[in-house]
Formats: sequence, C-alpha cells, structure tokens
Amino acid sequence: MTRFEYDDSDVVVVVGSGAGGGTLANELCQRGFKTVVLEAGPHLTGPDYENDEWKAFAQMAWTDPRTASGSWEIARDFPNLPAWIVKAVGGTSTHWAGACPRFKPHELAARSVYGPLEGTTLLDWPITLSELAPYYDRAELKMGVTHRHGRPPLPANNNYKVFANGAEKVGYRDYATGPYATNAEPFDGRPASIQDGFNFQGDKHGSKWSTLVAELPKAEATGNLDLRPDSHVAQILHDADGRASGVLYVDRNGTMRRQRAAVVCVAGNSIETARLLLLSSSARFPDGLANSSGQVGRNYMRHTTATVWGQFDKPVRMYRGETMAGVIADESRLDTDRGFVGGYYMETISLGPAFFAKFVAPGSWGTSLAEIVDGYLNTAGMWIVGEDMPQETNRITLSKDTVDANGLPVADVHFDDHPNDVAMRRHGRQQGTAVYESVGATRTIQTLPYPSTHNLGTARMSARPRDGVVDRFGRAHDVPNLFVSDGSVFTTGAAANPTLTIVALAIRQADYIATEFRSTAR
Amino acid sequence: MGTLLSEHERTTLVDLLRVAFPHDRFPVGPYQRTALAVVDAAAGNPRLHGLLLQGLADLDTQREVGFSNLDVETAQLVLRGIADTPFFTAVLDVAIVALYDDHEVWEILGYEGPSYDKGGYIDRGFNDLDWLPDPRIESWIDSTVDSTVDSNEEAPA
Ligand SMILES: Cc1cc2nc3c(=O)[nH]c(=O)nc-3n(C[C@H](O)[C@H](O)[C@H](O)COP(=O)(O)OP(=O)(O)OC[C@H]3O[C@@H](n4cnc5c(N)ncnc54)[C@H](O)[C@@H]3O)c2cc1C
Repeated sequence: MTRFEYDDSDVVVVVGSGAGGGTLANELCQRGFKTVVLEAGPHLTGPDYENDEWKAFAQMAWTDPRTASGSWEIARDFPNLPAWIVKAVGGTSTHWAGACPRFKPHELAARSVYGPLEGTTLLDWPITLSELAPYYDRAELKMGVTHRHGRPPLPANNNYKVFANGAEKVGYRDYATGPYATNAEPFDGRPASIQDGFNFQGDKHGSKWSTLVAELPKAEATGNLDLRPDSHVAQILHDADGRASGVLYVDRNGTMRRQRAAVVCVAGNSIETARLLLLSSSARFPDGLANSSGQVGRNYMRHTTATVWGQFDKPVRMYRGETMAGVIADESRLDTDRGFVGGYYMETISLGPAFFAKFVAPGSWGTSLAEIVDGYLNTAGMWIVGEDMPQETNRITLSKDTVDANGLPVADVHFDDHPNDVAMRRHGRQQGTAVYESVGATRTIQTLPYPSTHNLGTARMSARPRDGVVDRFGRAHDVPNLFVSDGSVFTTGAAANPTLTIVALAIRQADYIATEFRSTAR
Repeated sequence: MGTLLSEHERTTLVDLLRVAFPHDRFPVGPYQRTALAVVDAAAGNPRLHGLLLQGLADLDTQREVGFSNLDVETAQLVLRGIADTPFFTAVLDVAIVALYDDHEVWEILGYEGPSYDKGGYIDRGFNDLDWLPDPRIESWIDSTVDSTVDSNEEAPA
C-alpha cells in the first residue's frame, strides 16, 4: 500500500471515495498523479455487507446528525435523516441501484428551453451534450452499462414483468430492463448478477459497478493511490495567495492531521461538499471557501420523486432479483404541455418488508397500514424520478445548534417544493397508477419521497462567476487549485439519475487537471 | 438492563401493539418480541422510559375497564384518541422497525430474507411470475428518428 508524506505538497487530495471522488482518483492515478483519498467512513468490502435492510443501513449509511427544515414532508417524517448517503469506502456507489440514463440535449440548456420560471434559479449549463457525449461513452464503457456499447440487457425479473406489461398496455413504448451498471454477464473481472436482491445493501457479489470494486482497485494497482479510510476532513486550508494548500482531517484514532496538497478536489456528496466549503471560512473567505458569489449551498436539488405500488391478486415477489432493473423513459421527453417543465423516468424498485412498512406511508398505523403490508407478496413497485427546479432558498447551511462528534456544525438541509415539482409528482403518480391498473392492480399506493438519494447543485457550474461556484470543469471560480468533483456541480438536475453524469464529469475533470497541472508521481 | 415496567404494563404494551398493527395472520410471538424491543430501547433512555410508564398507566384509565379488556373496536378508538401523543408516536417509532424486521413476520408475509448464501434467486425464481406474458427487455428503437443524430443534437436555443 502506498503512503505519501503529510508534508508532501505535490499530492492531489480527493475528499470522498464515492462515485465522483473514487472515479476521479482512479483517473488521476492512471495519469501519474500522486493521489491521497480521504474517506470519512470505514473500508468495508463484500463479505462485510449484510443481506438485511436495517443492519446494512446501520452499518453503512451516514447517520451522523443532520437537520432538515422547510415545507417538504421529510422535515416532518425524517427530521434527522434528510438524505440516504453512504459513509464508507465507495461512498453511495455501494448502495446505488445502477440506473444510468444520459442527459438529453435540452436538459443542459434548461433556462433557455424552459424560460424564466418564477421562483427558480434556472441556468444553462456551461457545457453542451456534444462536449459531454465522449465522456458518457467512456463512463458507460468503464461501468459496463447494459444496453450500451454491445453490453447485454439484464433479464426480466418479476417486478419488471408487471411494470413492462403495464407500460405496454398504457401505450408506452420506451421501456427496457436498463440501462443499468450491473453485469448481466461477467465483465471487467467482475461476475454476472446472481439476482440476490440486495443491491441497496451493497451487492456482496460485486456485479454492480461501484468505486469500491471497480475504480479504487485499479487506482491502487498504479502505486499512486494512498487511500485513507476513517479520515474525516474538517477544513480545507489555503495559503496567502488564496490557493488551497491542503486539508485538516481527523484520523481513525481521533488524531488531527494536516495533509498538504497541490490540488484539492471535493466529492463529499452535495450536502457534505457544501458543508465543508462553508466550514472552510477564513479572514480572506469569510463566507466560506469558493463562496464569493454566495452560491455555495444554494440551489440544492434532490429530484422530484415518488413511489407507486401496485397490489394484485396474485404473487409478484418483487424482492427476488435486482432491486431496480426496469426503466420507462416515455415521460422523460421534452413536452411542456403536461402542466410542468422537465421530464421524469419510471424505474422499478423493491423494498423488503422492513423498509416497506417503514416508508410506504410514514406515520401511519392501524388497519390502513396493516392491509398494505399484508399485501406485500403481491406487490410491484416503481419509483418516479424527475427534474426538480433549482431555487435559491433550497439550501445547505451550517446548523446553529447541532454539532457532530468532532464538534463541527452539521448540515441543515432546507427544502420547499416548487409548484412545478408538485405538478410533476402528481402526474407521475397518476401515470404510475395507470400502469399498474392496466394489468389488474386491485390496490395502488402512492408513497411520499424518501430521504434524498440524489443530492445536487450546491456548488453549481456557471459560465459567470457570480451565478455559481465552479467553472465548466468543476474548478472553483475563486480558488484556482480547488475542484468540486461530485453532483454538487450540477447546474440543473435533469430527469436522469445523476451518477453516470457524475462519473462522466469526473473523467473529464481528470483530463483537465492533467493538462493544467504537472503529474507528480515518481 | 432493567425496566421499571410491571408485568401488567408489559402485557398492556403487547396488546397495544396488536391493536396498532392488526394482522390476523400474525401470532402473538412477534408482538411480544416487538414489545421487548420497545422495553429494551427504553432501558437506556429515560425519556422513553418515562413515556412508557406514564403512557401505559394512562391507557388503562381511558375506559371503565383496563385496555387489555376492551373489545377491538373500542381499543382502536382509544388509540386513535392518543395517536398524537409523544407516548404513542415513540412506541410506534420503535415498533414499526422491530415488528416488520421479525423473521417470523417475514415468513408469514412471504419474504425470504437473506439470499446471497443460497446463491441469490438466479436459479430460484427471480422470474417465475407466470400470470403475465414475458415482456421485451431490449431498448425500444424509435424508427421515426435517427437515434445517432438525436444524441448529438444541440439544444434548441
Ligand atoms: C439507495 C440508493 C439508490 C441509488 N440508485 C441510483 C441509481 O440507480 N442511479 C444513479 O444514478 N444514482 C443512484 N443513487 C445515487 C448515487 O448513489 C449518487 O448519485 C452517487 O453515489 C453520488 O456520488 P458522490 O461521489 O457525489 O457521493 P458519494 O458516493 O455519496 O460519496 C461521498 C463520499 O464522501 C465521503 N465524505 C463526505 N464528507 C466527507 C469529509 N468531510 N471527509 C471525508 N470524507 C467525506 C462520504 O463518507 C462518502 O463516502 C442511489 C443512491 C441510493 C442511496
């Protein structure tokens, strides 16, 4: 295992080892950069993972305190759990499901296409789809995305059979079992899925792409990776010229460490990325690092989501097989005649009884809940995920009264739905209900959004420094050797699940860093 | 760790859970284990402990007879009356996680639990649903547009 000196100021420090940070680290190591990855969570691997929802959650989820405020239901139902993010090597790419749609051309020009929607801070991305397309190719190739570049599709599981038949019945055409970054057949040294149904719990088999199983081992093999788990970064430090000089972190023994750096890249997943920038304030940067625009933490997006369940008079057994392995894309089209801008996808989802009962109707009990749970075996599920509107007041701030175990103020996540989000969610629920009713559902259930699994926009890309936090390569407008390398940089959210785009942007950022900074490895 | 709850209060808690989560198919075992989980959670939590002691005692004073002697409809009415109290929501919070995480409950609901050690479901019915036709799994090709052009097209400005 490679170790670099704390005082080695040639290294690139990457904060977070998830989809963004883990990919960037590998790409930098391949290009010869000495790379130190600081990951707050432990280094768990497949054999450690639990085939059990609550155990897996307790083992891996970020359960350090956070607070929630605003009118979203999450602030009422899950006030200390605004988001589901993993704190472990591999980050949330260990729990993700693997859905990999690309952005559509108009989704990178949301302000131009949707117009000035009241209450939003819509802005065009400073990049176009044709600039991104080659990086999407590279991301799909490395992740082994099904349905792309000749990779075979996943087979239909029970949940998909209900979903796809319903889609066909209501007249949808654009449905399939992917694209997903899970192997239908062996690829890249990893085996094919055995359909164990524990994707959200870390996929013990390693069939699903994650930075834990795919990126970090390759980075390690270059000899350029120094991966430090159980290392929580508390502050990014800067020199007299306003350049990032390194980071202060707390290691697994509680010892304070300073790692010097030539470049610092932050990929803590939007909430923690914004928190870290805000915590890194100084005399020169009184409102937080890279925050002269006041945009750090603002425009927080989480996708407009909902779940629709259909219950039938025959068994479904949705829990058998891939947790998510089905996409209906018809509603992701550009079509503002539906009463809202933006589009959404429908994707199969399955939960075990433990999560199902907890999340299906938060706060409910009595016969209404019992009847729903009694129908578990005969239940099919779909998740709706669509573009939500950026708003200035949807925002990560530092809590004024709650601190974590290190005494650092925790993130408060404030969110109010925009009327466009509400209209889209209503439409999605209606359509999802129609899908299940068309194949004979005797009951349909509409579930509120879960704690956010997609967290975006808190350090957004902008052409003009005053509109955002980073430039078109994710480089901070204010600090030339500070990069943001996760979904925080999303200017707008698009309908697509974000990870493929996070990975594509990380590869692109690595290319850019390699041209701007000399590679430092031996 | 100990509890200050009496035998009677613990029985009342089990009965409360049976009314709050009424499943005809569940035997008493899962409810007893769930009650134990609530009691265990309270062992190290003075706030919950206090809520339980007071709440369970209060429950018995709602009608002429104790809670456990009420018929189901009346018991449901009583619970509806206290649904928003910190006592009841605190019990629900712990109970909903414990009850539906009980393996006997899983079996009754038709859930098979951990599967990895059994080789997943690849050969054990992940696709055994037979009351609908087998659907298409490949992507739909829209013959009205050239998809290669579509993906490189710039946004309408
Ligand atoms: C159940 C679930 C299903 C999902 N399914 C999909 C899907 O199908 N498709 C899709 O596109 N996306 C999906 N996602 C979302 C996906 O997981 C995220 O988009 C992705 O992982 C984000 O990558 P990231 O690098 O920004 O953050 P993460 O992957 O969360 O990694 C961030 C890492 O940074 C670490 N960190 C944070 N702060 C610090 C600090 N101060 N010091 C050190 N380390 C720190 C964290 O511990 C974490 O390991 C899903 C998420 C969940 C929870």
